[in-house]
Amino acid sequence: MPKFLIPAILFSLFFSSRAPAQTELRFVTWTSESAKVWAEIIADFEAAHPGVKVVQEVGPSSSTEFHDLVTQKLRNRDPQMDVFFMDVVWPAEFAAAGWALPLDNFFPPAEQKQFLDAPILANRYGGHIYGVPVFVDAGMLYYRKDLLEKYGFAPPRAWPELVQQAKTILARERDPYLTGYSAQFKQYEGLICNMMEFILSNGATLWDERSMRSTLQHADAKEAVRFVRDEIVGAIAHRGVLAYQESESLALFTQGRAIFHRNWPYAWEVANDARQSKIAGRVGVMPLPAFPGHKSASTLGGWQLAISRFSRRPELAWQFVQFMTSSAMQKRISLSMGRAPARAALYRDPEILRRYPQFESQYQTLVRAVPRPRTPVYLPLANIMQRYFSSAIALRDSDIDGLARSAARDMDRVLDLLRDRSAR
Amino acid sequence: MNKIREPVWRFLLPSFLFVGVFSLYPIFESFRLSLYRMILTLPWLGQKFVGLENYSDLVTDPVALRSFGTSLLFVAVTTPVEVLLGLGMALALNETFRGRGWLRAVVLIPWAVPTVVTSQMWRFIFNDRYGVFNYLLFGDATQLYWAPLAEPGLALMAIMVADIWKTSAFAALIILAGLQGIPGELYEAAGIDGAGAWQKFRHITWPLIRPALLLALLFRTIDALKVFDLVFVMTQGGPADATNVLQFYGYKKSFAEGMIGYGSAIAVAVFLVSLALALVYIRVLGTGLLRKERAA
Repeated sequence: MPKFLIPAILFSLFFSSRAPAQTELRFVTWTSESAKVWAEIIADFEAAHPGVKVVQEVGPSSSTEFHDLVTQKLRNRDPQMDVFFMDVVWPAEFAAAGWALPLDNFFPPAEQKQFLDAPILANRYGGHIYGVPVFVDAGMLYYRKDLLEKYGFAPPRAWPELVQQAKTILARERDPYLTGYSAQFKQYEGLICNMMEFILSNGATLWDERSMRSTLQHADAKEAVRFVRDEIVGAIAHRGVLAYQESESLALFTQGRAIFHRNWPYAWEVANDARQSKIAGRVGVMPLPAFPGHKSASTLGGWQLAISRFSRRPELAWQFVQFMTSSAMQKRISLSMGRAPARAALYRDPEILRRYPQFESQYQTLVRAVPRPRTPVYLPLANIMQRYFSSAIALRDSDIDGLARSAARDMDRVLDLLRDRSAR
Repeated sequence: MNKIREPVWRFLLPSFLFVGVFSLYPIFESFRLSLYRMILTLPWLGQKFVGLENYSDLVTDPVALRSFGTSLLFVAVTTPVEVLLGLGMALALNETFRGRGWLRAVVLIPWAVPTVVTSQMWRFIFNDRYGVFNYLLFGDATQLYWAPLAEPGLALMAIMVADIWKTSAFAALIILAGLQGIPGELYEAAGIDGAGAWQKFRHITWPLIRPALLLALLFRTIDALKVFDLVFVMTQGGPADATNVLQFYGYKKSFAEGMIGYGSAIAVAVFLVSLALALVYIRVLGTGLLRKERAA
């Protein structure tokens, strides 16, 4: 290294460290499909708060990978992160670990009532509230209205019916590009959301929160998993779905290459945007099917804003959270991105309903969406389930009984860690 | 005597400090943590000393054992291929021809690109609908397209291919350095004695680059054992856990699940296996060097 470089570097370090006269607020977020809207909203916040600069740190859009980024900062007590996005399954973990700031003083129950119940409940842990919902998600079934009409099919209410319709359409269309079902079956968090919907809509559960035992080895749960392996993956869907997250599965659908597609509410806007979708205007959406004799189930998803306990400016951070989750901003985010808002009143907002008539019917699905169990050990349990589900459906001759038994045993061992607390 | 030694120690101190702070301390700390049960998301459990319990759990954990097998398979396939390809590249680059300097720089590009970018690129190449891999294999017959990253039997191979593409250049770099250390007179003399190209390689090049080859082998083995970023970006350990290498499993335990004790035990296990392999190589490499000194 040339000799002059060292003083040059020291010089620049010295000066850069004393540069900011502004207050910086760091917001850790993920890659958004509408980065421009975010930038505009943040600019508005900055305009309303002179001297404040919001620095966006953009992480991966996969929940699993984003979790690793955020928890790394929290574990290191990084004061650089003030506000961050929190997936609906993390509040219990972040609260128990002492990472998320309790927002009780900022976010009183009267204000909480303005939001849908399910996401508020998901943000509570141990009698405190840790996040403010920005938008809610629930699994929905998208379908090709034109193809179903062509063959005289009504939108399927039962899974076997969906498979039958897909098989018929595939056989008659003889289109080598077309596949029956596109969803998220990669080994990651989205896999749990998808599999949970199959399992719950067969009258089973992932685990029993009262007895704190896994229920994956129950016959109904295994039957749903077997159905996905035999009737969906490698049957009406092509095996590529085993590597798909949201974006890949949606791309297949918007390219007109899938008859049915499971995704969150935002997919509606993308699928009907003629600039990025070949099937705009030919899309239908409905609640997910169920197995005969059972009720449809949607996994509750969604994102909240939370404040790091290690933030040096919690007051300012709250102002930012309040601004981002205000009725006006939620409406704006909703209108521009097609995301389902977390505030209940917006589902009666004429402007939103005119633009997104589907929200009126989706409202029921969103309200009834089932949260994944709230527990500080969700991540260890999720990794066991991801491994189990992926092994069970990716191998054509998987031993589902054996895999379910060992997954349940592993989950029970993790759940036992929680018993220690009640014993104390 | 003392007067001479004292300044020597003073000069060595910075490097000892560096190794101590950045190598020995983390290793020691990982080992210490691996003796505790410590779960970040359950702070009320505290930090409980459990002795070797994490290690006894580790050797009976079927997921860990399978991950270890996956890691070893990864090492066993990628390392020899990379070193052989590296050898071929180094031999070619050692010849004098027009544009050699340029080509030497180009060959290093895959190695210089950040692994995360490489991984993302290979994820696209192996995409089941628009990947170049499928296009080269099947052209427009998309119904035949494979999904390598979705097949438990192929996903690890796909990651191996990405790793080989990326790091063969690194092996080539080390071997090339070894080749350049061989004096030209040896070849001249052999030429005068009537040796052909193969004989020159067999009796001059091969014995003299063996230390460089073993060094390349050593570096590649340890790196392959620690493969993480390719898995993280390309598959996240799936499908069916087929690409869940030990290092990735340990990362998941420590960093996603907050199981610091168990995660540290895995880290220590990876370290010990690396160390054991390194010692084996150094023995082989060391005896090789000793023999040559005696010959000289």
